[in-house]
Amino acid sequence: MSNPYIKINNLHKSFGNLDVLKGISTTIDKGEVIAIIGPSGSGKSTFLRCLNLLETPTSGQVWIGSDELTAKGTDIMKVRQNVGMVFQHFHLFPHKTVLENVTYAPITVKGVEKNVAEKQAINLLKSVGLSDKANQYPNRLSGGQKQRVAIARALAMAPDVMLFDEPTSALDPEMVKEVLDVMKSLAHTGMTMAIVTHEMGFAKEVADRVLFLDGGVLVEDVPPEEFFLNPSSQRARDFLDKVL
Amino acid sequence: MDLDFLRIVPSIPFILNGIWVTLLFVLVSAILGFLIGTILSLFKIGNIRGLKWFADAYTSIFRGTPLILQLMLIYFATPQLIGYDIPAFLAGILAFGLNSGAYISEIIRAGIQAVDKGQREAAEALAIPYKPMMKDIILPQAMKNILPALLNEFITLTKESAIVATIGFMDIMRRAQVVSANTYTAFEPLIFAGLIYYILVMGLTLLGRAVERRLRRSE
Repeated sequence: MSNPYIKINNLHKSFGNLDVLKGISTTIDKGEVIAIIGPSGSGKSTFLRCLNLLETPTSGQVWIGSDELTAKGTDIMKVRQNVGMVFQHFHLFPHKTVLENVTYAPITVKGVEKNVAEKQAINLLKSVGLSDKANQYPNRLSGGQKQRVAIARALAMAPDVMLFDEPTSALDPEMVKEVLDVMKSLAHTGMTMAIVTHEMGFAKEVADRVLFLDGGVLVEDVPPEEFFLNPSSQRARDFLDKVL
Repeated sequence: MDLDFLRIVPSIPFILNGIWVTLLFVLVSAILGFLIGTILSLFKIGNIRGLKWFADAYTSIFRGTPLILQLMLIYFATPQLIGYDIPAFLAGILAFGLNSGAYISEIIRAGIQAVDKGQREAAEALAIPYKPMMKDIILPQAMKNILPALLNEFITLTKESAIVATIGFMDIMRRAQVVSANTYTAFEPLIFAGLIYYILVMGLTLLGRAVERRLRRSE
């Protein structure tokens, strides 16, 4: 039995009377790529946001490495340094250049020297194919470019885990591929990734495992071949009928 | 109709001198109001209940009662209560500073809260602590919402400052009244004072537009 890197045990989250997550338990190994799939309102995003405490779980436990996020007195900031996140709507800082977007957190949070951070940022921008945009402001970029900058910005903190919350859902169709390609090559570097996505082709190709959520319940937790070819639950079959 | 602007010509320098008096008054009131407004807005967006309650109550009271009443209270009631014969200038800037502080606190609060929630989440996800997040991420973006409204508030302040004439402060308005009494005219000095206020307000409006244009350029 391997020792999983992320452990989630009976995770509940409610907003007032609304139970969004109803007891989710799973594990994620180091270097694993997880696709989180499900109908809208199923709790996918909430689940993801519990992994860096943008949402505080109502009950249950989450461990990343040796840190229990849900323990009292956990240093949230320390946890977040290790967990990068990419949002559906990018959320780049509009008043900062692309380079400043990427260097701001390492300089401010980790105390990295400016020229070191800039060198690292240029390398990251190169790896997402945008080193020529370093001095542009985000509003001059296309959606796909913005999302690639957002990925570089998250990677600049050198996290061990990357969370993606519907990273291509706000993009024009012709820009989806460039973002997925970056994510694909990131997956090949051995990054541990959890991706909420509607891109079934991508999930099939890149994910090691598919988590299918419906109504706040983890219905399927299986390899993609099994999920797409032979889903065991009726709910997953209904969902796949609609989207494929 | 008995209309003759020549009658007030000798008094024009007297009224014009009121410009500096009014401008100084507005400037000091605006600075005081800005300081109070900034502090109150921080109370309002913060998590400390007592301070939040205080800031909300303060705003409610100063916005819910007439400015001229606040002015009169400070000017006439201070000597009665503590025996201090408060000068008109001090009473005026206190009333205007305290009053516009209430309005400015709302302008700043709304400006900060209008910044896209995602900006805060992105900063939090990057483990950026509260202080640098506010200083480097939220406030620079909030300024874009705040500055135009703030300049508007200063324009209002400039116009409304005329009510300090009621406690005898020698601003443009009061000077026009003095000239009016001395020359047995009403139309000419008041129209002249109105013209000065209008020019001042237009100047501030143009300044506001220039600032807004500049802010928009970085978008």
